[in-house]
Amino acid sequence: MENIYMPDPMEVVGVFQQTADVKLVRIRFRDEEKNKNFHFNIGQFGLYSVFGVGESTFNICCSNSHDYIEFCFRKTGRVTERMWDVEPGDTIGFRGPFGNSYPMKEWEGKNLVFVAGGIAMPPIRCAIQYALENRDKYGKITIVYGARTVNDLVCKDELDQWATYPNVDVLKTVDVAPEGGVEWNGRVDFVPTVLKDSGVTGDNSVALVVGPPIMIKLSLPILVENGFKDEDIFTSLENRMKCGLGKCGRCNCGSVYVCKEGPVFTQADIKRMPNDF
Amino acid sequence: MSQIISLDNLKRLLDAKIADGATVVAPVQDGDFVSFKAIDKAENATLQPRAAMQNSIKEFFFPKHETLFSFVRQGNDVQLLDAPDFEKEQIVVGARPCDAAALEILDPLFAWDYQDRFFQERRKQTTVVAFACTVCDAHCFCTAVGGAPDNTKGADALLYQTEDGSFEVKTLTEKGEKLFAGQLTDGSANLKPLATPNGAIKTEEVASWIKDNFTSPVWEKVSLRCVGCGACAFVCPTCHCFDIVDEGSYSKGKRVKNWDSCQEAMFTLHASGHNPRATQGARQRQRLTHKFVTYPQKFGFYLCTGCGSCSRSCGASFGVRPCLEALEQNATQK
Amino acid sequence: MENELRNAIRELLTQKQVDVVIGYGKVGVDGAIGALFITDPSEVDAMVWNDECRQNLAVHLTRPEVKALGKAAIVVKPCDARAIVVLANEAQIDRDNLVVISAPCTGVKKADASGHKTDELEKKCLSCVEHVPQNVDVVVGATDAAQALDAQNQEVAQNRSAGHQTRLAELRAKSPEERFDFWKKEFDRCIRCYACRQNCPLCYCRRCVADKNRPVRIDSSASLKGNFAWNILRAFHLAGRCIGCGACANACPAGIELDLLNLTLANAAQDQFGYVSGKTLGEAPLIGTYDTTDKEEFIR
Repeated sequence: MENIYMPDPMEVVGVFQQTADVKLVRIRFRDEEKNKNFHFNIGQFGLYSVFGVGESTFNICCSNSHDYIEFCFRKTGRVTERMWDVEPGDTIGFRGPFGNSYPMKEWEGKNLVFVAGGIAMPPIRCAIQYALENRDKYGKITIVYGARTVNDLVCKDELDQWATYPNVDVLKTVDVAPEGGVEWNGRVDFVPTVLKDSGVTGDNSVALVVGPPIMIKLSLPILVENGFKDEDIFTSLENRMKCGLGKCGRCNCGSVYVCKEGPVFTQADIKRMPNDF
Repeated sequence: MSQIISLDNLKRLLDAKIADGATVVAPVQDGDFVSFKAIDKAENATLQPRAAMQNSIKEFFFPKHETLFSFVRQGNDVQLLDAPDFEKEQIVVGARPCDAAALEILDPLFAWDYQDRFFQERRKQTTVVAFACTVCDAHCFCTAVGGAPDNTKGADALLYQTEDGSFEVKTLTEKGEKLFAGQLTDGSANLKPLATPNGAIKTEEVASWIKDNFTSPVWEKVSLRCVGCGACAFVCPTCHCFDIVDEGSYSKGKRVKNWDSCQEAMFTLHASGHNPRATQGARQRQRLTHKFVTYPQKFGFYLCTGCGSCSRSCGASFGVRPCLEALEQNATQK
Repeated sequence: MENELRNAIRELLTQKQVDVVIGYGKVGVDGAIGALFITDPSEVDAMVWNDECRQNLAVHLTRPEVKALGKAAIVVKPCDARAIVVLANEAQIDRDNLVVISAPCTGVKKADASGHKTDELEKKCLSCVEHVPQNVDVVVGATDAAQALDAQNQEVAQNRSAGHQTRLAELRAKSPEERFDFWKKEFDRCIRCYACRQNCPLCYCRRCVADKNRPVRIDSSASLKGNFAWNILRAFHLAGRCIGCGACANACPAGIELDLLNLTLANAAQDQFGYVSGKTLGEAPLIGTYDTTDKEEFIR
């Protein structure tokens, strides 16, 4: 019988430092057969391990058109501290894909509003990449992304590249104005303010909001005011997980297992869940 | 006519099984305690019904510490070695019906979508022989959660003690029949009376109160004396939360699965420092919600067999029964 | 005595001198005794004081959930009061902001596996010379009987010839191999539930070394290696601090004789340094003091 806790060995094929403590890592299965057959849906997550150190949970942050997967992490704990040192050629473990996904099919024909703060860009990046790769299937795309300072923005280069696509607005902002001649062509404001000014409406639109609790808390009313229904506002939850398989009993909010029924929830789902976040 | 096995013949059967290479687990007296242990001869077991057990039979299906796989780093690559399959025959004898029932309760969890072979292989390899309870204590409340002193759930055979110390055997599955094949004699049995546990808890009402009172201040109040250890969870036959950690060095080691408890503050602590369940009240609410709301919703069973091990083991005189009783006052008010 | 205690508590609450009283009550299954938190004078009658008050309630003083209740009074057995002295000496509690109530004790009885009282005294009570409250704020009840017990136990305490001291002496008489086998058998049962730590009034670290993982100093697994590391490390962390209340051993669901580990180190503290923890308010902790007359060369 298969061992569901057994990861696949993956080769690190790229490491892209994003900020002082955030890196994006690109990995491929060591087993070429698996590279051919592997498929995941946009918004799913995986468990990534440094053998001898442990496993951590991250969203798969690239679209599913590649023969690799990417994930992004901040150096904060035991596993990520060791993960920081991985170089191309190294092996890390991967289990996944797990969880549900963004309903990219259902979103076809609609305007997409992406709202992200700080390190929460990666779980949205996969959906943005997918939507841009399938540009004709979606309406207007608005991306509101902010971080505390210019140095805290992840996927910085991609932001400008996304803005070159037709009918795509990229509204980037920082909380604190850059000093000492640092170049900045975005705004200096909080994400919710920029979202308010963006003129997005809930008309034939869906929003995907991921970020720190305070950003989410202040962004939701703005979306609601502009006609977004709870069913049209999506988020990706991040609870502490160990197994990713609905067994270890750690990630639940009330009776909802985030690892199996999530990580993607609509605001309507979240309102039905107890406040166990 | 009943099917009978004498105590001596039961011991002989177990010894024969041990000689065959099977692992036989039975209650063993050790000082003041009686615990389930693997035995090397039947003589060492105390083969009679008992309420207060130091552990549950859970650990023979879901050990407190279990290797998932090991690894060796070779240059840039890592070689992974799967944990061996569990192939040995195992016989658990003298299980309390509330221990055996827990296995059937846990079956769907370990087979929910993803198949946990570690639990399932042990389930397949094990024959569970339960003793119908002729004794109970004030901690027992199986009858409040759908159990009974002679509950057959999860068992392959249920043995009723007779007044002369023999057992009437009721085989329940093929595994049970196989174990006792040719071992039983026909006879008439004078059975010891079954225990009468106090199950006077309005479990359904409490469960419904728990479901609707996530934000109630009652949670903090009732769990004030809980000091937040994992004893209740670890002695519980149904608690199954676990941790996954790596052991060894960067170059060579293993990944293991360890018991974990939602009552410990570290359980849900995020790397950011945020803890969704920062107080003991929130953690107790999680425990009770999981047992009486979440699990029944998902899998159709209470995650509790009323064995009372939690309250017997609690250093602070808490546990499921006292908690249910405290909540019952709120649930049945108005 | 129980009524006097209730009156004293009622008074404290009515006069609003404290917000909460941590005492003993019949809170558990079948009236099993545990901590009762009383905030209203009308609830005082639920408080009990008898020979089943085994738990050391001082463990609650450093818990955030209890601190949140405001200024506290606490009911302790005379022996357990030593834990409060250590907590104060280690600056974990504000002793001036706490009312400690105690009554003379004549020992507590062991419980059986179902929690029922037996006729047998707890092991630690057999050599106890702390039946009369010391370092507390309120004493209720007559102390004669307790004083007599203290006098009676002086000799066995001095000779370490009763209770858990006898048990320890038996163990120490064995060969190192036999002792190792004994602890192997004990620790094999450890399930790493941390009941010992959580029920210990002096295990108050906000983040225990066992919960730290950068680096992992102790395997969190309940393997023999992890269990040896954990239990020995905990004993060392309590060296010169443990007051011998036995809360760890009493709470251990696996019945491991943890009190013997701690007792070994408490005996060593006494024999090597003449130090008995929790006897004197304001005393510097043993492990935190340096003395030029120390007999060890390396420290001078």
